[in-house]
Amino acid sequence: MLVFVLLSGELTAQAQIIDPSLKSIEPSQRAVVLLPAGELPAQALESNAATATQKPNLFNRTTNWLRSRNLPGDLQIHGFASQGYITTSDNDVFGNSNNGGSFGLTEAGLNVSVRPLPKLQLSAQVLSRRAGKGNDGMPRLDYAILDYQLYSHEANQYGIRIGRLKNPFGFYNETRDVAHTRPSILLPQSIYFDRTRNLGLSGDSIQLYGETAIGSIGTFSTQLGVFWPIVNDKDTEVSLIASRFSPQPLGGLNRDASFIGRGIFETNDKRLRLGISGIWLNTSYDPHGITDPVRSGSLQFTPIYFSAQYNAEKWSITSEYAIRHFKYDSTFSSNMLINGKDFFGESYYVQGEYRFTPKWEGFIRYDALYTDRSDRNGKEFQEELLTKYNLPIAAHSRFAKDITVGLRWNVTPEFMLRAEYHRVNGTGWLSRLDNPSTEGPMSQHWDLYAIQASYRF
Amino acid sequence: MIPTFLSYFSFSIRAFICCLLLLSAFVASEVWANEHFEIVIYPGVGEKEISHNSLRSIFSMRQKTWPDGTKIRVFVLPDDDQLHEIVSKEKLNVFPYQLRSMWDRLVFSGTGQAPIKVNSVEEMLTKVASTPGAIGYLWRAKIDDTVTVLQIK
Repeated sequence: MLVFVLLSGELTAQAQIIDPSLKSIEPSQRAVVLLPAGELPAQALESNAATATQKPNLFNRTTNWLRSRNLPGDLQIHGFASQGYITTSDNDVFGNSNNGGSFGLTEAGLNVSVRPLPKLQLSAQVLSRRAGKGNDGMPRLDYAILDYQLYSHEANQYGIRIGRLKNPFGFYNETRDVAHTRPSILLPQSIYFDRTRNLGLSGDSIQLYGETAIGSIGTFSTQLGVFWPIVNDKDTEVSLIASRFSPQPLGGLNRDASFIGRGIFETNDKRLRLGISGIWLNTSYDPHGITDPVRSGSLQFTPIYFSAQYNAEKWSITSEYAIRHFKYDSTFSSNMLINGKDFFGESYYVQGEYRFTPKWEGFIRYDALYTDRSDRNGKEFQEELLTKYNLPIAAHSRFAKDITVGLRWNVTPEFMLRAEYHRVNGTGWLSRLDNPSTEGPMSQHWDLYAIQASYRF
Repeated sequence: MIPTFLSYFSFSIRAFICCLLLLSAFVASEVWANEHFEIVIYPGVGEKEISHNSLRSIFSMRQKTWPDGTKIRVFVLPDDDQLHEIVSKEKLNVFPYQLRSMWDRLVFSGTGQAPIKVNSVEEMLTKVASTPGAIGYLWRAKIDDTVTVLQIK
């Protein structure tokens, strides 16, 4: 909580630092062109009230028009900061959570966007995420995008985006670090792994996008792109190149050209939303010299996601299903567990949300993950490792079934508090970095309690 | 047993149809009750009328330019404002929470911008009247000749 207060204080301070630089601009313009009025400190709102009583005439309009031409185009600044507290009965999630709880989940971001030309938008976001051993909170460039709209006619828009883009898959991936846009503190881990999050989160990319009106029924939005995934982080390497010879692979993963696409159909009233997304991710392993027990090889990860949502005034139902194909070359060395592996993972969740009032919301969710859909209880894998390599592993590390209930309180539109409880059977999505085998075996049945405070502007 | 089941079945069908009719009557009456507000634009914008699809696309922050190629600037009242709620539901056919989540998705993925928030109807009038390319909404009683009413076809 204290960390959160400090963080949100920091952000407010930043917003005020921005303000003095705008002093030279006429107050009415300041709010119109630079920032939505609600996002400025109190003194700006006062000046808005003053101009509101002033009747605009032709002169005012003309000067306003001229000034808006000279100012940086429609600059907007937004940000967020969240602090979570997580405690578990067994196993560690984002820090030492099973020993008195942990404040290990901190997320903060700040973004800027401008429209220098009517069809051109530039935007960038810096993100800091502190979550277990995989994310130390070092701020990093989350996205930096040049977006040009090539064609626009009524509800039909087509354009191109270049830069570091968020990967569009499922309903939540692109804004997964912004608590306000998530249905829960922890996203359904079966689809939105936090363990290998960087792999799917963003990449250097070129994307084409389009939105097409389908009569008066709805719209169909598509995004298609080529990207170079970010694979050079510890958590991803440990998850993808599981090695029994060292806790972490000695070599590194390469960023190979990969492809991504998503289509979402939405009815005009946005009640029904149906989506399909696919990723074709390529990466390869470079061993660390000739002593590395893992030899070079490439792997493909090709998941397909189906998403559906129905929104009523008081409630929403959301479900997503993923089938995830992993394929490893057989050149990693015959001693390696992953060598030549070719299997399909399966995951899905079903979630109901209810808005009691605009301020109070509740949700319930069932979320299931099977690392290998042809071996749902992990027994075959356990058997194989024992007989082939004399390696005892827990069958429950190959699945996870999570029942979650939670409550959200929108204290103000900017500030939110929430709490949730998870009852989990299985350890399939737990971070191997946070739960190393040196700390003893993981527990199959475990509970997770989390609370979170979040601010955004 | 079977006749009982059938009669129960036909009863539930009838009940279902009645519910549908009631619902549609309710929806229809809502549509008729709305003409107390208008969509307004900056007088310099050349348009006099736009399609419903286009209006939705503008408030979804997807359509970024007027047909003549100039910037669209969208102004909205706070999410819990009564007029905002009425315009969302009756003109745009979405709930305010859906608009908010659409805008959040754009802002925090870097693929779009949020509309500009004003805090009162008076401020809405001033801003729309003075900002090139502006679009917003106002109670009919508050509309004067500093803004243009946009017809939705």
